[in-house]
Amino acid sequence: MRLLISDHITNAYESLRSNRLRTFLTGLGITIGVASITTVLALSAGVSSVIHQQITALEGNIAVIRPLSTTSGDLTVQQTFTPSTLTEQDYQALMKNKDIKHIAPMMIVAGIPSKGDTKPAGTSVIASTPSLQDIAKLEVRDGQFLDDVTNQQTVVVGEQLSVDLFGTNQSVGQTLTVKGKRFTVIGVLKRSNDPINFSTVDFDKTAIIHLSAGKELAGKTAPLQQISLQATSAAKLQPALQAVDAELARLHHGDKDYTIISGRDIAASTSRLFQLIQGVSAVIASVSLLVGGIGIMNIMLVNVAERTREIGLRKAVGASNAHIIWQFLIESLIISLAGGIAGYVAGYVLAFIISTFLTFDPAFTWYIAGLAGALSLGVGVVFGIYPAVKASRKDPIESLRQYR
Amino acid sequence: MAKKHTKPVVIKLKGLKKRYGIGNAEHYALDGVDLVIEKGEFIAIMGPSGCGKTTLLNILGLLDRPTDGDYLLDKKPVEELSAAHHARIRSEQIGFVFQNFNLIPRLTVIENVALPLTYKGMRKMKRLKEASRVLKNFHLQEREYYMPNQLSGGQSQRVAIARALVNNPSIILADEPTGNLDSRASHIVMEELSDLHRRGNTIIMVTHNPKLTTYASRVIHMLDGKIASDTKIMVEVTSTTDKIPLGIKKKVAA
Repeated sequence: MRLLISDHITNAYESLRSNRLRTFLTGLGITIGVASITTVLALSAGVSSVIHQQITALEGNIAVIRPLSTTSGDLTVQQTFTPSTLTEQDYQALMKNKDIKHIAPMMIVAGIPSKGDTKPAGTSVIASTPSLQDIAKLEVRDGQFLDDVTNQQTVVVGEQLSVDLFGTNQSVGQTLTVKGKRFTVIGVLKRSNDPINFSTVDFDKTAIIHLSAGKELAGKTAPLQQISLQATSAAKLQPALQAVDAELARLHHGDKDYTIISGRDIAASTSRLFQLIQGVSAVIASVSLLVGGIGIMNIMLVNVAERTREIGLRKAVGASNAHIIWQFLIESLIISLAGGIAGYVAGYVLAFIISTFLTFDPAFTWYIAGLAGALSLGVGVVFGIYPAVKASRKDPIESLRQYR
Repeated sequence: MAKKHTKPVVIKLKGLKKRYGIGNAEHYALDGVDLVIEKGEFIAIMGPSGCGKTTLLNILGLLDRPTDGDYLLDKKPVEELSAAHHARIRSEQIGFVFQNFNLIPRLTVIENVALPLTYKGMRKMKRLKEASRVLKNFHLQEREYYMPNQLSGGQSQRVAIARALVNNPSIILADEPTGNLDSRASHIVMEELSDLHRRGNTIIMVTHNPKLTTYASRVIHMLDGKIASDTKIMVEVTSTTDKIPLGIKKKVAA
């Protein structure tokens, strides 16, 4: 039996056209659902692609070592406050590896940079070494970065932090206080507008002190939140990481309480928070899609009820149950697919509007387009099949007896 | 009765029963109907309300299934076939004309007429050509792109008859085709039906109106689910146009 797809499509198109406002409103439900999902996914894909770009820009020879607890899935609280299993000894042992060009420890100091009573929110202090500049590609705007000659009383600040603390970005020579200890600003970083990066630190709002100074503040110990390393070349990265793994295993007595992340995985673990936000917002967005689907079912049931006589007549002139199912299913599919396409476009428009307030752009991926298409088709089928089957089950005699 | 063996049998019913309800409420709408219908007959089924006329017509049109008995359409038993098979038979062998026309309001006249061909799997262009050809026979060609609500009752019913005819059915089933029409439009519609009959179509019509039996070649009276009388009018109805002034058909059509 022929399914008459093209006939059903023209037919559905005409019946939808005859109820334009109703069709539009029903499709709008799907549009809103798909748009919200698209927005969420486009923005979070944007985050990932920013990090991917950074890694690509670093020629693929970057790896980071993190304490295992921070990558086990749960979020920033642990990342900041759990005593890290990585220590300065680990860092120093790894410095000897010949395949590693740069290696930089990163210790998050539990303190806020302050000047007098000014304690800007959202800022952080990290302790590291001069190599951080090379690995994290930090550019100095004014003054200089940390180097081996500078002493323990010096600090490099991000531009935003400089403005927050001193009211100017020309703060070289000024002093700030961390945990009661005074530091002299020797350099101001160029604004990077890049709060998402593999170092998990917004350098615009960070004060960077030397690792030895950080150790002083933390009571002579240096628990490291991350060790970033850069191999001499991309080809040397894997051998270097194997050596690193062996060395760390030896130092930790075979206890694998650290993890080595390279390539794309760096982005994955960095965007964990974003993944969670993405997950939660996608679920909320799906609720609106669900509501849209219910709208489709509702309207299709009304359609079926309104056209009972038409169904009876079509059956009388030779339509089989399958023909009737297809006729109504294709109608709901057209609504949901058109709504989905509009939603995909609207979602990106919305994502671009939102991104003007953010530091990254939404990303276009096939995955999102495919998902938007599959979701709208799925909604059309799931919520259209019941009304369609209901229509096909109508008794032609009863249907024809119904008066307008 | 000499004709009986010269014409092929289209429909043969044997002991056809249709029961509604169960237990105390049991009621036979059809209680053992035997009927043989030959090709080219114009049958008028008469009878009081509730005598089973419409039930019989629905069963003949495969819209309903008998509780018991045999139904042979074109010598093939059909009551055991699947619903999808019934749908195919409806699309190929049966044309319906209803009391309330049942045109789809959002389709044009020509699309309404072409509708049964859709379910035969015919291409759109061919469907519309075919529909146009049939409409021409009904002098409705200039109404092709009208919407049903722009037509008079008589015109609507003629469109409906054109639709019933478009798939070249073996039988045309008409359920009170003039029930919603005034007497003038009724005449025109009956004229069309008897014209179809003269051209060799088999028509089975249910009606309340005894006047209309004059168009038929055979009148069946039903009572309580049974055939009470079955009269063949041997004199071929040659023409009934003399009842209407000449040319009025054209006028109404235009």
